[in-house]
Amino acid sequence: MKNSWIGGEAVWRSEPAEENLAVAVHRCEAGALERLIDRYEGALYSYAYGILQNAFDAQEVVQDAMLRAHRALTRQYDEPRCAELALRPWLFRMTRNLCLNKRRSKTRALEQPLETFDDGRLGPFVRQSDDAERKEDAELLRRAMGVLPVEARELIVLRFMEEMSYADIAKTVGTTESSLRGKVFRSLKLLRDALEKKGVTHAV
Amino acid sequence: MRCRSVLTRIDAMRTGELPAEEHAPLHEHLGSCPSCNESVSDVEAFAQTVRSLAAAPPRSCRDSVSGKCKDSYATVTERGETVWVVFTDRGLRMIHRGGTLDDVRERYARRHGREIVERPLPERLRKQLAAALGGEGVDNPQVDWGEEESGIERDVLKTLTRIPRGEVRTYSWVAQQAGHPGAVRAVGTICARNNVPFVVPCHRVVPATGGIGNYAFGSALKRELLRREGVDVDALDALARKGVRFIGSKTTKIVCFPTCRDARRIAEANRVPFGDAESAEKKGFRPCKRCQPFATPTSSRSRSSARPH
Repeated sequence: MKNSWIGGEAVWRSEPAEENLAVAVHRCEAGALERLIDRYEGALYSYAYGILQNAFDAQEVVQDAMLRAHRALTRQYDEPRCAELALRPWLFRMTRNLCLNKRRSKTRALEQPLETFDDGRLGPFVRQSDDAERKEDAELLRRAMGVLPVEARELIVLRFMEEMSYADIAKTVGTTESSLRGKVFRSLKLLRDALEKKGVTHAV
Repeated sequence: MRCRSVLTRIDAMRTGELPAEEHAPLHEHLGSCPSCNESVSDVEAFAQTVRSLAAAPPRSCRDSVSGKCKDSYATVTERGETVWVVFTDRGLRMIHRGGTLDDVRERYARRHGREIVERPLPERLRKQLAAALGGEGVDNPQVDWGEEESGIERDVLKTLTRIPRGEVRTYSWVAQQAGHPGAVRAVGTICARNNVPFVVPCHRVVPATGGIGNYAFGSALKRELLRREGVDVDALDALARKGVRFIGSKTTKIVCFPTCRDARRIAEANRVPFGDAESAEKKGFRPCKRCQPFATPTSSRSRSSARPH
Protein backbone atom coordinates (compact mmCIF):
# COMPACT_ATOMS: atom_id res chain seq x y z
CA MET A 1 0.00 0.00 0.00
CA LYS A 2 1.58 3.23 -1.11
CA ASN A 3 0.87 6.12 1.13
CA SER A 4 1.12 8.63 -1.65
CA TRP A 5 -1.31 10.98 0.04
CA ILE A 6 1.10 11.78 2.77
CA GLY A 7 4.40 11.29 1.09
CA GLY A 8 5.59 7.77 1.72
CA GLU A 9 6.48 5.54 4.59
CA ALA A 10 8.72 7.82 6.61
CA VAL A 11 5.69 9.53 8.05
CA TRP A 12 4.44 6.66 10.18
CA ARG A 13 6.88 6.66 13.06
CA SER A 14 5.69 4.96 16.17
CA GLU A 15 6.22 5.27 19.87
CA PRO A 16 8.14 2.08 20.62
CA ALA A 17 7.14 1.47 24.24
CA GLU A 18 4.33 -1.05 23.92
CA GLU A 19 4.31 -4.56 22.49
CA ASN A 20 4.69 -4.20 18.79
CA LEU A 21 1.44 -5.68 17.61
CA ALA A 22 2.18 -4.86 13.99
CA VAL A 23 5.27 -7.06 14.05
CA ALA A 24 3.45 -9.82 15.92
CA VAL A 25 0.75 -9.85 13.26
CA HIS A 26 3.37 -9.73 10.53
CA ARG A 27 5.01 -12.83 12.01
CA CYS A 28 1.64 -14.59 12.28
CA GLU A 29 2.14 -15.13 15.98
CA ALA A 30 -0.71 -17.10 17.47
CA GLY A 31 -3.42 -14.83 18.77
CA ALA A 32 -1.78 -11.63 17.52
CA LEU A 33 -4.59 -10.82 15.13
CA GLU A 34 -7.17 -11.34 17.87
CA ARG A 35 -5.21 -9.06 20.20
CA LEU A 36 -5.15 -6.41 17.50
CA ILE A 37 -8.88 -6.66 17.02
CA ASP A 38 -9.68 -6.66 20.74
CA ARG A 39 -7.54 -3.64 21.28
CA TYR A 40 -8.70 -1.40 18.46
CA GLU A 41 -12.11 -2.58 17.38
CA GLY A 42 -14.06 -0.50 19.89
CA ALA A 43 -12.14 2.71 19.26
CA LEU A 44 -12.33 2.33 15.49
CA TYR A 45 -16.01 1.60 15.71
CA SER A 46 -16.69 4.72 17.76
CA TYR A 47 -14.68 6.74 15.27
CA ALA A 48 -16.46 5.23 12.28
CA TYR A 49 -19.77 5.80 13.99
CA GLY A 50 -18.76 9.40 14.59
CA ILE A 51 -18.27 9.85 10.87
CA LEU A 52 -21.06 7.72 9.48
CA GLN A 53 -23.69 8.02 12.24
CA ASN A 54 -24.89 4.57 11.34
CA ALA A 55 -24.18 1.45 13.38
CA PHE A 56 -24.45 -1.01 10.52
CA ASP A 57 -22.14 0.87 8.18
CA ALA A 58 -19.68 1.57 10.97
CA GLN A 59 -19.45 -2.10 11.82
CA GLU A 60 -18.93 -3.06 8.21
CA VAL A 61 -16.19 -0.48 7.82
CA VAL A 62 -14.37 -1.69 10.93
CA GLN A 63 -14.42 -5.27 9.73
CA ASP A 64 -13.13 -4.22 6.35
CA ALA A 65 -10.40 -2.14 7.96
CA MET A 66 -9.28 -5.10 10.05
CA LEU A 67 -9.11 -7.36 7.02
CA ARG A 68 -7.11 -4.79 5.11
CA ALA A 69 -4.81 -4.19 8.03
CA HIS A 70 -4.09 -7.90 8.32
CA ARG A 71 -3.45 -8.17 4.63
CA ALA A 72 -1.15 -5.18 4.55
CA LEU A 73 0.81 -6.25 7.60
CA THR A 74 1.29 -9.83 6.49
CA ARG A 75 1.62 -9.59 2.74
CA GLN A 76 2.62 -6.10 1.78
CA TYR A 77 4.81 -4.69 4.50
CA ASP A 78 8.15 -6.21 5.41
CA GLU A 79 9.22 -6.56 9.00
CA PRO A 80 11.22 -3.30 9.38
CA ARG A 81 8.32 -1.38 7.98
CA CYS A 82 5.92 -3.04 10.41
CA ALA A 83 8.33 -2.32 13.25
CA GLU A 84 8.33 1.40 12.62
CA LEU A 85 4.67 1.68 11.75
CA ALA A 86 2.62 3.95 14.00
CA LEU A 87 -0.17 1.44 14.27
CA ARG A 88 -2.87 3.54 15.86
CA PRO A 89 -2.96 6.50 13.45
CA TRP A 90 -2.47 4.05 10.58
CA LEU A 91 -5.54 2.05 11.58
CA PHE A 92 -7.57 5.20 12.13
CA ARG A 93 -6.51 6.55 8.79
CA MET A 94 -7.52 3.34 7.06
CA THR A 95 -10.88 3.37 8.82
CA ARG A 96 -11.34 6.99 7.88
CA ASN A 97 -10.68 6.34 4.20
CA LEU A 98 -13.15 3.48 4.19
CA CYS A 99 -15.73 5.65 5.94
CA LEU A 100 -15.33 8.41 3.40
CA ASN A 101 -15.61 5.90 0.55
CA LYS A 102 -18.76 4.58 2.11
CA ARG A 103 -20.24 8.06 2.43
CA ARG A 104 -19.33 8.83 -1.13
CA SER A 105 -20.93 5.65 -2.42
CA LYS A 106 -24.08 6.53 -0.56
CA THR A 107 -24.58 9.91 -2.16
CA ARG A 108 -28.29 9.58 -1.76
CA ALA A 109 -27.93 9.19 1.95
CA LEU A 110 -25.31 11.89 2.37
CA GLU A 111 -25.75 13.78 5.62
CA GLN A 112 -28.49 11.31 6.16
CA PRO A 113 -29.84 10.75 9.65
CA LEU A 114 -29.29 14.27 10.86
CA GLU A 115 -31.17 13.77 14.04
CA THR A 116 -33.03 16.93 14.76
CA PHE A 117 -31.85 18.58 17.88
CA ASP A 118 -35.16 19.52 19.30
CA ASP A 119 -35.33 18.06 22.72
CA GLY A 120 -37.67 20.25 24.73
CA ARG A 121 -36.34 20.01 28.25
CA LEU A 122 -32.69 20.80 28.72
CA GLY A 123 -30.86 20.89 31.98
CA PRO A 124 -27.41 22.12 32.88
CA PHE A 125 -24.85 20.31 30.86
CA VAL A 126 -21.82 19.77 33.01
CA ARG A 127 -20.66 19.62 36.61
CA GLN A 128 -22.89 16.78 37.47
CA SER A 129 -21.74 13.82 39.40
CA ASP A 130 -25.05 12.07 39.25
CA ASP A 131 -25.00 9.12 36.88
CA ALA A 132 -28.45 9.63 35.44
CA GLU A 133 -27.72 13.24 34.59
CA ARG A 134 -24.42 12.24 33.07
CA LYS A 135 -26.36 9.96 30.74
CA GLU A 136 -28.64 12.81 29.87
CA ASP A 137 -25.66 14.97 29.04
CA ALA A 138 -24.33 12.25 26.84
CA GLU A 139 -27.61 11.98 25.00
CA LEU A 140 -27.69 15.73 24.43
CA LEU A 141 -24.14 15.71 23.22
CA ARG A 142 -24.83 12.79 20.93
CA ARG A 143 -27.64 14.71 19.29
CA ALA A 144 -25.58 17.87 19.07
CA MET A 145 -22.81 15.88 17.39
CA GLY A 146 -25.35 14.62 14.87
CA VAL A 147 -25.91 18.10 13.47
CA LEU A 148 -22.20 18.94 13.19
CA PRO A 149 -20.35 18.61 9.90
CA VAL A 150 -18.44 15.36 9.51
CA GLU A 151 -15.07 17.01 9.88
CA ALA A 152 -15.98 18.53 13.22
CA ARG A 153 -17.44 15.27 14.47
CA GLU A 154 -14.38 13.25 13.64
CA LEU A 155 -11.99 15.75 15.19
CA ILE A 156 -13.94 15.85 18.42
CA VAL A 157 -13.95 12.04 18.56
CA LEU A 158 -10.23 11.81 17.91
CA ARG A 159 -9.24 14.56 20.29
CA PHE A 160 -11.61 13.97 23.17
CA MET A 161 -12.69 10.35 22.94
CA GLU A 162 -9.43 8.84 21.73
CA GLU A 163 -7.31 11.53 23.36
CA MET A 164 -4.96 11.44 20.41
CA SER A 165 -2.07 13.84 20.18
CA TYR A 166 -2.21 16.52 17.51
CA ALA A 167 0.65 14.77 15.74
CA ASP A 168 -1.31 11.53 15.47
CA ILE A 169 -4.53 13.24 14.44
CA ALA A 170 -2.59 15.06 11.74
CA LYS A 171 -1.41 11.70 10.41
CA THR A 172 -4.89 10.29 10.59
CA VAL A 173 -6.73 13.02 8.76
CA GLY A 174 -3.79 14.06 6.60
CA THR A 175 -3.10 17.64 7.52
CA THR A 176 -0.56 19.65 9.47
CA GLU A 177 -0.55 20.10 13.21
CA SER A 178 -0.89 23.86 13.08
CA SER A 179 -3.93 23.88 10.82
CA LEU A 180 -5.35 21.11 12.95
CA ARG A 181 -5.30 23.21 16.13
CA GLY A 182 -7.50 25.78 14.43
CA LYS A 183 -9.82 23.11 13.10
CA VAL A 184 -10.27 21.50 16.47
CA PHE A 185 -10.97 24.90 17.98
CA ARG A 186 -13.59 25.68 15.33
CA SER A 187 -15.16 22.24 15.76
CA LEU A 188 -15.57 22.89 19.45
CA LYS A 189 -17.09 26.28 18.66
CA LEU A 190 -19.60 24.64 16.34
CA LEU A 191 -20.46 22.14 19.03
CA ARG A 192 -20.84 24.89 21.58
CA ASP A 193 -23.12 26.79 19.22
CA ALA A 194 -25.21 23.72 18.64
CA LEU A 195 -25.59 23.21 22.35
CA GLU A 196 -26.24 26.86 23.06
CA LYS A 197 -29.06 26.96 20.59
CA LYS A 198 -30.95 25.02 23.18
CA GLY A 199 -29.76 27.16 26.00
CA VAL A 200 -27.00 24.91 27.20
CA THR A 201 -23.97 26.88 28.21
CA HIS A 202 -20.89 24.91 28.69
CA ALA A 203 -17.18 25.45 28.56
CA VAL A 204 -15.90 23.35 25.72
CA MET B 1 1.92 31.79 34.13
CA ARG B 2 -1.08 33.56 32.71
CA CYS B 3 -4.60 32.20 32.90
CA ARG B 4 -4.88 32.52 29.11
CA SER B 5 -2.32 29.87 28.45
CA VAL B 6 -3.69 27.41 31.00
CA LEU B 7 -6.46 25.94 28.86
CA THR B 8 -4.20 24.87 26.02
CA ARG B 9 -1.79 23.39 28.53
CA ILE B 10 -4.52 21.39 30.18
CA ASP B 11 -5.56 20.18 26.78
CA ALA B 12 -1.99 19.19 25.96
CA MET B 13 -1.53 17.42 29.28
CA ARG B 14 -4.65 15.33 28.73
CA THR B 15 -3.16 13.72 25.62
CA GLY B 16 0.36 13.49 27.00
CA GLU B 17 1.73 16.22 24.77
CA LEU B 18 2.78 18.64 27.49
CA PRO B 19 6.53 18.49 28.14
CA ALA B 20 7.33 17.17 31.61
CA GLU B 21 9.06 20.36 32.77
CA GLU B 22 5.83 22.34 32.31
CA HIS B 23 3.78 20.12 34.60
CA ALA B 24 5.03 21.70 37.83
CA PRO B 25 4.35 25.38 36.89
CA LEU B 26 0.90 24.40 35.68
CA HIS B 27 0.00 22.66 38.93
CA GLU B 28 1.41 25.59 40.85
CA HIS B 29 -0.84 27.99 38.98
CA LEU B 30 -3.90 25.80 39.41
CA GLY B 31 -3.24 25.67 43.14
CA SER B 32 -3.63 29.42 43.39
CA CYS B 33 -6.25 30.24 40.75
CA PRO B 34 -9.88 29.11 41.43
CA SER B 35 -11.23 30.21 38.04
CA CYS B 36 -8.65 28.18 36.15
CA ASN B 37 -9.48 25.24 38.38
CA GLU B 38 -13.05 25.55 37.29
CA SER B 39 -12.10 25.50 33.62
CA VAL B 40 -10.08 22.37 34.27
CA SER B 41 -13.04 20.55 35.69
CA ASP B 42 -15.16 21.80 32.79
CA VAL B 43 -12.73 20.40 30.25
CA GLU B 44 -12.50 17.14 32.16
CA ALA B 45 -16.26 16.84 32.39
CA PHE B 46 -16.60 17.54 28.70
CA ALA B 47 -13.97 14.96 27.76
CA GLN B 48 -15.63 12.46 30.01
CA THR B 49 -19.01 13.04 28.40
CA VAL B 50 -17.50 12.60 24.95
CA ARG B 51 -15.82 9.42 26.12
CA SER B 52 -19.14 8.14 27.40
CA LEU B 53 -20.40 8.30 23.81
CA ALA B 54 -17.93 5.58 22.90
CA ALA B 55 -19.90 2.54 21.94
CA ALA B 56 -19.00 -1.05 21.39
CA PRO B 57 -20.04 -2.42 18.00
CA PRO B 58 -23.29 -4.38 18.18
CA ARG B 59 -21.40 -7.49 17.17
CA SER B 60 -17.64 -7.98 17.31
CA CYS B 61 -15.94 -8.70 14.02
CA ARG B 62 -13.31 -10.78 15.82
CA ASP B 63 -14.48 -14.20 14.74
CA SER B 64 -15.36 -13.38 11.17
CA VAL B 65 -12.09 -11.52 10.60
CA SER B 66 -9.87 -14.11 12.20
CA GLY B 67 -11.76 -16.80 10.28
CA LYS B 68 -11.09 -15.05 7.00
CA CYS B 69 -7.45 -14.45 7.81
CA LYS B 70 -6.58 -18.07 8.47
CA ASP B 71 -6.23 -21.02 6.16
CA SER B 72 -6.84 -24.65 7.00
CA TYR B 73 -4.54 -27.61 7.38
CA ALA B 74 -4.95 -31.34 7.73
CA THR B 75 -2.64 -34.32 7.91
CA VAL B 76 -2.99 -37.18 5.50
CA THR B 77 -1.36 -40.59 5.70
CA GLU B 78 -1.03 -42.32 2.39
CA ARG B 79 1.17 -45.35 1.76
CA GLY B 80 2.87 -44.84 5.07
CA GLU B 81 3.81 -41.25 4.25
CA THR B 82 2.44 -38.51 6.46
CA VAL B 83 1.98 -35.23 4.68
CA TRP B 84 0.68 -31.89 5.86
CA VAL B 85 -1.83 -30.24 3.57
CA VAL B 86 -2.74 -26.59 3.75
CA PHE B 87 -5.83 -25.66 1.79
CA THR B 88 -8.39 -22.94 1.22
CA ASP B 89 -11.85 -23.20 -0.23
CA ARG B 90 -10.27 -22.65 -3.65
CA GLY B 91 -8.01 -25.66 -3.42
CA LEU B 92 -4.65 -26.95 -2.25
CA ARG B 93 -2.24 -24.30 -1.08
CA MET B 94 0.79 -26.13 0.26
CA ILE B 95 1.90 -29.72 0.72
CA HIS B 96 4.65 -30.43 3.18
CA ARG B 97 6.24 -33.77 3.86
CA GLY B 98 7.82 -34.58 7.19
CA GLY B 99 8.60 -32.15 9.99
CA THR B 100 6.39 -30.95 12.77
CA LEU B 101 3.32 -28.75 12.84
CA ASP B 102 5.51 -25.85 13.90
CA ASP B 103 7.67 -26.31 10.80
CA VAL B 104 4.58 -26.16 8.64
CA ARG B 105 3.23 -23.11 10.45
CA GLU B 106 6.55 -21.37 10.17
CA ARG B 107 7.00 -22.14 6.50
CA TYR B 108 3.45 -21.16 5.65
CA ALA B 109 3.69 -17.90 7.58
CA ARG B 110 6.96 -17.05 5.86
CA ARG B 111 5.62 -17.78 2.42
CA HIS B 112 2.03 -16.70 2.59
CA GLY B 113 1.87 -14.61 5.75
CA ARG B 114 -1.11 -16.41 7.20
CA GLU B 115 -1.89 -18.55 10.19
CA ILE B 116 -3.31 -22.05 9.82
CA VAL B 117 -5.95 -23.89 11.83
CA GLU B 118 -6.89 -27.56 11.66
CA ARG B 119 -10.00 -28.33 9.67
CA PRO B 120 -11.15 -31.51 7.93
CA LEU B 121 -9.81 -31.95 4.41
CA PRO B 122 -12.59 -31.92 1.80
CA GLU B 123 -13.08 -35.26 0.10
CA ARG B 124 -12.23 -34.05 -3.41
CA LEU B 125 -8.85 -32.72 -2.23
CA ARG B 126 -8.15 -35.90 -0.26
CA LYS B 127 -8.80 -37.95 -3.40
CA GLN B 128 -6.46 -35.80 -5.46
CA LEU B 129 -3.72 -36.15 -2.92
CA ALA B 130 -4.17 -39.92 -2.68
CA ALA B 131 -4.04 -40.18 -6.46
CA ALA B 132 -0.88 -38.06 -6.62
CA LEU B 133 0.94 -40.04 -3.95
CA GLY B 134 -0.30 -43.39 -5.19
CA GLY B 135 0.95 -42.86 -8.72
CA GLU B 136 -2.40 -42.57 -10.47
CA GLY B 137 -1.65 -38.94 -11.20
CA VAL B 138 -4.00 -35.98 -11.10
CA ASP B 139 -5.29 -34.65 -14.39
CA ASN B 140 -6.80 -31.43 -13.22
CA PRO B 141 -5.33 -30.56 -9.84
CA GLN B 142 -7.34 -28.17 -7.73
CA VAL B 143 -4.72 -25.73 -6.58
CA ASP B 144 -5.16 -22.32 -5.04
CA TRP B 145 -2.35 -20.61 -6.90
CA GLY B 146 -2.59 -17.55 -4.72
CA GLU B 147 -1.12 -14.25 -5.74
CA GLU B 148 2.48 -14.53 -4.69
CA GLU B 149 3.78 -16.39 -7.69
CA SER B 150 5.25 -14.25 -10.40
CA GLY B 151 4.22 -14.76 -14.00
CA ILE B 152 7.02 -17.16 -14.81
CA GLU B 153 6.36 -19.24 -11.69
CA ARG B 154 2.79 -19.70 -12.61
CA ASP B 155 3.64 -20.47 -16.26
CA VAL B 156 6.10 -23.13 -15.19
CA LEU B 157 3.83 -24.72 -12.60
CA LYS B 158 0.97 -24.86 -15.07
CA THR B 159 3.27 -26.43 -17.66
CA LEU B 160 4.24 -29.11 -15.15
CA THR B 161 0.63 -30.21 -14.89
CA ARG B 162 0.73 -30.97 -18.63
CA ILE B 163 3.44 -33.61 -18.32
CA PRO B 164 1.52 -36.88 -18.58
CA ARG B 165 1.68 -39.48 -15.88
CA GLY B 166 4.29 -42.13 -16.59
CA GLU B 167 6.48 -39.78 -18.62
CA VAL B 168 9.30 -37.39 -17.86
CA ARG B 169 10.48 -34.17 -19.48
CA THR B 170 13.64 -32.14 -19.26
CA TYR B 171 14.08 -28.79 -17.57
CA SER B 172 14.77 -27.11 -20.90
CA TRP B 173 11.59 -28.60 -22.35
CA VAL B 174 9.56 -27.12 -19.49
CA ALA B 175 11.25 -23.75 -19.96
CA GLN B 176 10.44 -23.82 -23.67
CA GLN B 177 6.83 -24.92 -23.21
CA ALA B 178 6.22 -22.36 -20.49
CA GLY B 179 7.23 -19.64 -22.91
CA HIS B 180 10.51 -18.76 -21.20
CA PRO B 181 13.09 -20.72 -23.24
CA GLY B 182 16.06 -19.04 -21.58
CA ALA B 183 14.94 -19.74 -18.05
CA VAL B 184 16.14 -23.33 -17.72
CA ARG B 185 17.84 -22.81 -14.37
CA ALA B 186 14.82 -20.87 -13.13
CA VAL B 187 12.65 -23.90 -13.88
CA GLY B 188 14.86 -25.91 -11.52
CA THR B 189 14.44 -23.31 -8.80
CA ILE B 190 10.70 -23.11 -9.28
CA CYS B 191 10.39 -26.90 -9.11
CA ALA B 192 12.44 -26.90 -5.93
CA ARG B 193 10.12 -24.41 -4.27
CA ASN B 194 6.94 -25.91 -5.65
CA ASN B 195 4.27 -25.39 -2.97
CA VAL B 196 2.22 -28.38 -3.98
CA PRO B 197 4.63 -31.20 -4.84
CA PHE B 198 3.16 -34.58 -5.85
CA VAL B 199 -0.03 -32.92 -7.09
CA VAL B 200 1.79 -30.53 -9.39
CA PRO B 201 4.26 -33.09 -10.69
CA CYS B 202 7.64 -31.46 -10.39
CA HIS B 203 9.04 -34.97 -9.95
CA ARG B 204 8.44 -35.57 -13.66
CA VAL B 205 11.21 -33.17 -14.65
CA VAL B 206 14.69 -34.62 -15.17
CA PRO B 207 18.04 -33.30 -16.44
CA ALA B 208 18.59 -33.32 -20.20
CA THR B 209 21.86 -35.16 -19.65
CA GLY B 210 19.99 -38.19 -18.37
CA GLY B 211 19.42 -39.71 -15.00
CA ILE B 212 16.74 -38.77 -12.51
CA GLY B 213 18.22 -35.64 -11.01
CA ASN B 214 17.50 -33.98 -7.70
CA TYR B 215 14.31 -33.67 -5.74
CA ALA B 216 13.22 -31.55 -2.83
CA PHE B 217 12.56 -34.72 -0.82
CA GLY B 218 15.59 -36.64 -2.11
CA SER B 219 16.07 -38.43 -5.42
CA ALA B 220 15.16 -41.78 -3.86
CA LEU B 221 11.59 -40.57 -3.39
CA LYS B 222 11.60 -39.10 -6.89
CA ARG B 223 12.52 -42.53 -8.33
CA GLU B 224 9.88 -44.17 -6.18
CA LEU B 225 7.17 -41.73 -7.29
CA LEU B 226 8.08 -42.17 -10.95
CA ARG B 227 8.12 -45.95 -10.57
CA ARG B 228 4.63 -45.82 -9.07
CA GLU B 229 3.48 -43.88 -12.08
CA GLY B 230 4.86 -46.53 -14.43
CA VAL B 231 8.16 -45.02 -15.51
CA ASP B 232 10.92 -47.59 -16.01
CA VAL B 233 13.50 -45.72 -14.00
CA ASP B 234 16.28 -48.27 -14.44
CA ALA B 235 15.84 -48.28 -18.21
CA LEU B 236 16.16 -44.48 -18.16
CA ASP B 237 19.41 -44.81 -16.26
CA ALA B 238 20.68 -47.33 -18.76
CA LEU B 239 19.85 -45.03 -21.68
CA ALA B 240 21.53 -42.11 -19.93
CA ARG B 241 24.71 -44.16 -19.48
CA LYS B 242 24.76 -44.83 -23.23
CA GLY B 243 24.17 -41.16 -23.97
CA VAL B 244 20.77 -41.75 -25.54
CA ARG B 245 18.36 -38.86 -25.20
CA PHE B 246 15.79 -39.55 -27.89
CA ILE B 247 14.27 -42.67 -29.45
CA GLY B 248 13.12 -42.75 -33.05
CA SER B 249 11.08 -45.21 -35.06
CA LYS B 250 12.44 -46.60 -38.31
CA THR B 251 8.96 -47.04 -39.73
CA THR B 252 7.48 -43.60 -39.03
CA LYS B 253 10.74 -41.60 -38.99
CA ILE B 254 9.50 -39.84 -35.88
CA VAL B 255 11.67 -39.16 -32.87
CA CYS B 256 10.43 -38.94 -29.27
CA PHE B 257 11.51 -38.63 -25.68
CA PRO B 258 12.20 -42.18 -24.43
CA THR B 259 9.27 -42.06 -22.02
CA CYS B 260 6.75 -40.69 -24.54
CA ARG B 261 3.83 -43.08 -24.80
CA ASP B 262 4.42 -43.27 -28.55
CA ALA B 263 8.09 -44.14 -28.10
CA ARG B 264 7.31 -46.87 -25.61
CA ARG B 265 5.26 -48.82 -28.13
CA ILE B 266 7.89 -48.85 -30.89
CA ALA B 267 8.86 -52.45 -31.61
CA GLU B 268 12.31 -53.37 -30.35
CA ALA B 269 13.62 -53.94 -33.88
CA ASN B 270 12.53 -50.50 -35.08
CA ARG B 271 13.96 -48.42 -32.25
CA VAL B 272 16.71 -45.99 -33.25
CA PRO B 273 18.56 -44.21 -30.42
CA PHE B 274 19.79 -40.62 -30.83
CA GLY B 275 22.10 -38.58 -28.65
CA ASP B 276 21.02 -35.18 -29.96
CA ALA B 277 18.49 -33.44 -32.15
CA GLU B 278 20.83 -32.72 -35.08
CA SER B 279 21.77 -36.33 -35.77
CA ALA B 280 18.09 -37.28 -35.79
CA GLU B 281 17.14 -34.50 -38.19
CA LYS B 282 20.10 -35.32 -40.41
CA LYS B 283 18.70 -38.81 -40.85
CA GLY B 284 15.33 -37.40 -41.83
CA PHE B 285 13.53 -37.89 -38.55
CA ARG B 286 11.02 -35.35 -37.34
CA PRO B 287 10.08 -34.64 -33.73
CA CYS B 288 6.97 -36.19 -32.24
CA LYS B 289 4.07 -33.78 -32.04
CA ARG B 290 2.88 -35.18 -28.78
CA CYS B 291 6.02 -34.97 -26.66
CA GLN B 292 7.74 -32.26 -28.76
CA PRO B 293 11.20 -33.50 -27.81
CA PHE B 294 13.36 -30.80 -29.42
CA ALA B 295 13.13 -27.88 -27.12
CA THR B 296 14.72 -25.65 -29.75
CA PRO B 297 13.34 -23.74 -32.74
CA THR B 298 14.42 -26.61 -35.05
CA SER B 299 11.30 -28.50 -34.05
CA SER B 300 9.07 -26.14 -36.02
CA ARG B 301 10.90 -26.72 -39.32
CA SER B 302 9.29 -30.02 -40.20
CA ARG B 303 5.81 -29.11 -39.09
CA SER B 304 4.30 -28.69 -42.58
CA SER B 305 5.35 -32.08 -43.91
CA ALA B 306 4.56 -34.02 -40.79
CA ARG B 307 1.74 -36.44 -40.30
CA PRO B 308 0.26 -36.81 -36.85
CA HIS B 309 1.37 -39.79 -34.89
